[in-house]
Amino acid sequence: MDAIVFESVNKVFRRHRTPFKRAASEPSFAVRDISLKITSGSVLALLGENGSGKTTLLKLISTMLLPDQGRVLVHGSDTRTHAQQVRRHVGFAISGERSFFPRLTARENLEFFAALDDVGPKLRRDRIANILARTGLLDASDVLAMHLSSGMYQKLAIARALMKQSSVLLLDEPTRSLDSAAASQIRTLVQALSAEGVTVVIASHNFEEIAEVADSVLLLRRGQVAAAHHISPVSTEAIHSFHLKGTAEIREAACVVESVS
Amino acid sequence: MADKAMALMRRDLLTAMRYRSASLLALAGAAAELAAFYYLAKAIGPSFRPEGMDYFSFLVVGTGFYTFLVMGIHSFLQTVEEAQQGGTFEVLMTTPTPPSIVLCLSALSAFSRNGLQFVIYLGAGLLLFKQRLQSPQLGASVLVFLLAVVIAMAIGMMAAALQVAIQKGSVVLWVLGSGAWLLTGTLFPIADLPRWLQGAANLIPLTHALNAMRSALLEGTARASLHQELAVLTAFCLFLMPLGLLSFSYSLQRARLHGTLSSY
Repeated sequence: MDAIVFESVNKVFRRHRTPFKRAASEPSFAVRDISLKITSGSVLALLGENGSGKTTLLKLISTMLLPDQGRVLVHGSDTRTHAQQVRRHVGFAISGERSFFPRLTARENLEFFAALDDVGPKLRRDRIANILARTGLLDASDVLAMHLSSGMYQKLAIARALMKQSSVLLLDEPTRSLDSAAASQIRTLVQALSAEGVTVVIASHNFEEIAEVADSVLLLRRGQVAAAHHISPVSTEAIHSFHLKGTAEIREAACVVESVS
Repeated sequence: MADKAMALMRRDLLTAMRYRSASLLALAGAAAELAAFYYLAKAIGPSFRPEGMDYFSFLVVGTGFYTFLVMGIHSFLQTVEEAQQGGTFEVLMTTPTPPSIVLCLSALSAFSRNGLQFVIYLGAGLLLFKQRLQSPQLGASVLVFLLAVVIAMAIGMMAAALQVAIQKGSVVLWVLGSGAWLLTGTLFPIADLPRWLQGAANLIPLTHALNAMRSALLEGTARASLHQELAVLTAFCLFLMPLGLLSFSYSLQRARLHGTLSSY
């Protein structure tokens, strides 16, 4: 059973016209003709340099963005036509550090988002306590969000994504600002969630992290799938060689295009 | 739904409590405004009775209700603007709760706060300066209040749509608000405006809301005589609410396509 399906998806960004520049600028492809299927309960890692389309792919799944062409399906629901159904299935830990209410505590922020995520008042208290413990945030639960460190903020974003117990979890560079112990705790959490049947899509630059948690890896370059491999067992060396191979393949392809034109 | 409304109100209450000085300054500002209107009405003298009403009461009801409605409209825009600047907008717009519900509930919290302020403003104005309402029609005033809230919500949705689209909706709202301040008869009756401006004033729903509220509270008019204004307000509600919902939904869809949901 496929949890997520991309069918020939294109996402184009156009710069706005300014009053003194009438001509429309060249559209830039954030995602170009991507088709892929992600099996339920698997952990897919998105690898690629900055601007390669990793976050755009996550945002397309979460309905923060809509495709210009093609379809994105989450458990069979189209993100364009059945966005509300998709949102029930998807939890997204975004990487930005400004997605909480600064004058509310970590716990108050979670309580607020839990209400909007349809988590009933009776379930909320226990679930928040459990998630705060799982993400290592118990000690910081009564601290105002504006006083949290980058790492704490990141943990809080993961905690919020876990709140509705969604079947699809999207993690955008989840351990970027975490110390090694906290990062390890998050990786263990991802493995546990995968074992529980949650589909996880994780964008990362960290080979070790990918090696530890991913079932398969997708290498993106300039919005296109440069290479996709199911590597079992995943190891840091295998990912390094896959990354180098993928990059080399793209360079090769680019050379061919240049020589033809 | 009630649970979500409570969560939003709690968020706003906690935030307001942690910004104590701003709340106190707002109260001081309202008190200063009331005093200024009292002495303005006293200076003008009792012979000036716009539409047969005592001028101080005319001012207090007009400015209080106008401020309530405009702040309600602005709260929609502010909800979007603060969420865009605070980085919560993308997250709020992708919860299982439909975006228009999130927006309306956020504004409902602001309406409750502003509604309470309106009642205190009105009560304080009339009590402190020893004015009396002439046989007020409370039922009619509640009806006018509810219809005006629906209209303000619809216009607020359009303001929110504008904010999503251009990220500087407050500038447009400020320009429109300045025009409305002149045309809605907040400070003086619109009968004193040139005829062509009176036509424009009648196209603004807030003009009818203020007229109807003054009639209900100050003139003690029988409900039958309010029928015309109530019918106009109902027509505005039926026309503006679908338009507000559609414009916000379209604006969000466009932002998701253009990737500007997180822009500010």
